[in-house]
Amino acid sequence: MIATRRRKFPLRMILGLTLAAGLASEATAQEKAAQASTAVSAAVASDPILKAMREELDRSKAQLKMDKVAAPYYIEYRIGDVEEWTAEAAFGALRQDQKVHGRSARVVVRVGDYKQDSYYGPGMGVVEFAPLDNDPVAIRRELWLATDAAYKAASEALASKKALLSQFTADQPFDDFAKAAPLEYVGSLVKLEFSPEPWKESLEKATNLYRSNLKIQSVSGFLRFRAVNEYFVNTEGTSTRQGYAVYSMQISAETQSPDGMKVGRTPFFVENSANELPPPAKFLADAEKTLTTLQALADAPMVEEDYRGPVLFSNDSASDVLETLVGQNVLGIRPKPGESARTTGEYSSNYKGRVLPTFMSVVDDPTLQTFEGRRLVGSYEIDQEGVKASSVPVVTDGILVNYLLGRMPIRDFPESNGHGRAAPGQPPVPSLGNFIVKVKEPVSEDELKKKLIEMCKQEGKPYGYYVETMAGENPRLLYRIYVSDGHEELVRGAVFNELDTRTLRNNLVAAGNDPLVSNRAGSVPTTVICPSVLFDELEVKRTDRKNAKLPEYPAPALTPQ
Amino acid sequence: MRRFRSRAAVCISLLLSLIPLGAFSSSATPDVVLATMQRELKRAGTSLAKTDPAPYFMSYAVSDIDGTIIVASNGGVIFSTSVLRRQGDVMMHVGSLALDNTHNQSRASGIVSGTLPLVNDTDATARVLWQLTDREYEQASAAFAKVKTSTAVQADEEDKSPDFSTEAPLTHTDATQFPPFTGQKAWEERTRKISSIFLKYPEVYTSVVVFTATADRSYLATSEGTALVRPSAMVRLVIQAETRADDGTELMRVESFQAATADQLPGDAELEAKVAKMSADLKDLRAAPSAEPYAGPAMLSGRAAAVFFHEVLGHRLEGHRQRDENEGQTFTKKVNQLVLPAFLSVTDDPTMKELNGVKLAGYYDYDDEGVPAQRVVAVENGVLKNFLMSRMPIKGFSHSNGHGRRQPGLMATGRQGNLIVTSTNMVKDSELRQKFIEEIKKQGKPYGLYFDDIQGGFTLTQRATPQAFQVLPVMVYRVYADGRPDELVRGVDIVGTPLLSLNNIMVTGDMLQVFNGVCGAESGQVPVAAAAPAMLFSTIEVQKRRRGTERPPILPPPGVGTPAPQASGAQGGKS
Repeated sequence: MIATRRRKFPLRMILGLTLAAGLASEATAQEKAAQASTAVSAAVASDPILKAMREELDRSKAQLKMDKVAAPYYIEYRIGDVEEWTAEAAFGALRQDQKVHGRSARVVVRVGDYKQDSYYGPGMGVVEFAPLDNDPVAIRRELWLATDAAYKAASEALASKKALLSQFTADQPFDDFAKAAPLEYVGSLVKLEFSPEPWKESLEKATNLYRSNLKIQSVSGFLRFRAVNEYFVNTEGTSTRQGYAVYSMQISAETQSPDGMKVGRTPFFVENSANELPPPAKFLADAEKTLTTLQALADAPMVEEDYRGPVLFSNDSASDVLETLVGQNVLGIRPKPGESARTTGEYSSNYKGRVLPTFMSVVDDPTLQTFEGRRLVGSYEIDQEGVKASSVPVVTDGILVNYLLGRMPIRDFPESNGHGRAAPGQPPVPSLGNFIVKVKEPVSEDELKKKLIEMCKQEGKPYGYYVETMAGENPRLLYRIYVSDGHEELVRGAVFNELDTRTLRNNLVAAGNDPLVSNRAGSVPTTVICPSVLFDELEVKRTDRKNAKLPEYPAPALTPQ
Repeated sequence: MRRFRSRAAVCISLLLSLIPLGAFSSSATPDVVLATMQRELKRAGTSLAKTDPAPYFMSYAVSDIDGTIIVASNGGVIFSTSVLRRQGDVMMHVGSLALDNTHNQSRASGIVSGTLPLVNDTDATARVLWQLTDREYEQASAAFAKVKTSTAVQADEEDKSPDFSTEAPLTHTDATQFPPFTGQKAWEERTRKISSIFLKYPEVYTSVVVFTATADRSYLATSEGTALVRPSAMVRLVIQAETRADDGTELMRVESFQAATADQLPGDAELEAKVAKMSADLKDLRAAPSAEPYAGPAMLSGRAAAVFFHEVLGHRLEGHRQRDENEGQTFTKKVNQLVLPAFLSVTDDPTMKELNGVKLAGYYDYDDEGVPAQRVVAVENGVLKNFLMSRMPIKGFSHSNGHGRRQPGLMATGRQGNLIVTSTNMVKDSELRQKFIEEIKKQGKPYGLYFDDIQGGFTLTQRATPQAFQVLPVMVYRVYADGRPDELVRGVDIVGTPLLSLNNIMVTGDMLQVFNGVCGAESGQVPVAAAAPAMLFSTIEVQKRRRGTERPPILPPPGVGTPAPQASGAQGGKS
């Protein structure tokens, strides 16, 4: 199964990310679990870290027990090996150039049972540094002490959880912890592959553009190259090793308008490998463009009049809006014990209800490796809870049909669908992988613009709004498109009113055929794929934020070069 | 709360969070950095002079930090990295000497920090300094407006001293370039090796070996004209081992070594012996009886007495505490009064490089406000004479005496350097024990307590809290009057109030012992030393230490055949 997949992704092989896998079929893995997880495949046994983890896990499983306290019913170890290079430059000069290599060991011990267990407060695991040497004694010693601490904390956590729950009458109609099929998977190790000098130079050159854009107050560039290898074992018989790499780069620029308003731009690039990032000439050209548009933004007129009418979002800005308003709300995050809502998100009670127009569907598919030739950083084989990733349709024809789930069940959803993700050392939580917005009968962005103008005309408006990029919840690059001749005018100082889930459901009237692949480096890498979208009505108004003071005195003069 | 400790390794996560990120690729020529600082400072001074309120004092401080840190645990390296970073601090006083933005609780408004280019790029460096200066002016001028309002509406303060002192400008440039540390691989091997020795001792549950090598260069330019460039280099090796007694008491031993260069650190044989001793101590401590609350005669070793004085007296001599109205001000009004037994004197002398052949960690030539370090006689023959002064004046003491210290990013306050306690009522160390036993007998006690080693401690100087101190002794023995062998006890804390305790000192030994460590307080972590002779106290009060709640590990260590000492049946409750 993995072997076929492997052939699909030649780029991974080039990067040494080949998934030379030993994924046992589920049937065999289950059989192995039945044998008390002592027998492991040759692939697991051949990795010194997995082997040490497995040995200590088996010892803990067999022997860990305090007087008058239940033995653990589940134990997991996750070691995350992180190799990272960060560099930062400002005004053409490097300010940071740092390599770090570290390993974390996260140990979760659960007492109780799947129905009700100790995964609560201090029972949510213990994190320690793990040795960088593959020395089995050193690794096992860290795991030994962490397991001991986690077990003791788990027993106390279960007691406090029971005490808390005794205040509520309702019985929880789902388990605390979802069962998951054991599996074995040994992927290739990932390492950082790049030579630092050209990248440092690229940062310096791009940020040196301040010399020709003297009205820009601040120009800096940042990059983070990160390779993560994760090792996971649990007492259900799962043993996995997998790695991923994320290469990200960013340029940040800030300045002030003559009235003191602060404006900034921070375009970023996130890829699976260094050679997919923009090469120096492209990065420089992008930086130049960033500074030019920033200056234009600083000089742009303020939005003075309130506007209520059609607004078109580019694929870039739409991907931010849908990631926030749909993506974050389809995460199956369970509320605190005793709370009856299904999830913590706004779609808590929208299951089987319409949340988007009927021409839109959303799927999260971490198993997808590329989209229109572009590699997706949100791809993964197995999540951080040892569950195989799966493609999950969450919104079908506008109707919410599923949530993204880890191993913490929520009402009506008893099982994980492989979306329990976490950065090394962190507890897994339901997270996006490749979040894909699909549209029936899409149209081109040009047609959307025509449609926008048409709608404005009908409403007797002189212009409509076009959002190119977002800054958090509000527009960053916002244009007026004039009905008279279609010309575009950049404006600043606007905020949206009521850009929310309700507006998405009721006012999203058309979408483009221009899906943008937006790779993002968060605590776990994700990809959002989303086209342009058109709203028939949205409120755009002037920000009420106070302007900052302009600098008290001018920037230092440049020395001639 | 202030801590005096040699415990750099207390918490690895803390330790790692302290590692600044950054890296150099330059061979820094000091004058480029200093010249850029001075030029930009001058420009800022001229430009901001036109503002209202205007700054009357500004300074730029730049710290080049070139450090290596290696951490090994249980025979494996868990962290190893080198860090290069150049930090810039912009400090500003807006208003006037009499009243400015740094007044009282608004002191933090006097500083902003940022990261400067690693390379000596004049234009980029100047631009970052300009940005920081603008931010600092915005912060300081806003703070000054608030200070003016609150002083107008609040009751008069007791100490009406100005907020800042004037000091003579000076120029001192030390161009010494310490060679970059090259021993990273070798020290990874070495720390791994030292750490693996602990694996031989199953009573030691966990251990950490931390090696740090730093070569720093600090630059200071002030609007008064002071220009300082000072290089410094230090290596430090800290070995820490921990275990837990059956009742949950956490037990720890720490050894630390510091030197100018790595090759001056102790050799393998000495370190191996230290590890063996630490492990043996921990084994003994696990088996030792728990101490009972006690008040009676006690003897402190020189090192223990040094820590005791640092905590109990030293922190209360720090100048700024005498005017902060939240402070207890134990000694504020006791100048020229007897505060210690007349046979004791206390000086703080940062100019002293070593004592009895031991290098002193609190040595420096200029303080962090650019004032020359001075030997300060704080207590002379028991009489309080002086405080440890930064540039924040207090009633009766209007100038700095070179004790304004800080870590980059924080405002300086009066701090200790090398605190040295001397005595005229001395007996030979060997006779001190005899006097101790006589005192135990005289007081009719079955035993006295001998404090051989004190890990560190903390002291509360604020008014809102009891004026108490607590030191954390680790090796404490009962010394019996009837000649029985000394008996190690565990879980002892010395408690008490400063004035009372200090006056219970009866007589001292004749040898000064040195404790080198790192002291943390409002102005950050600074290296310090304290030195004192062994001391006999007529009374010291001890309490049982609050103990951990956890039993020792349930399973024996992995890969070790012999089971760990088993826990007794009772499960430790929450204390």
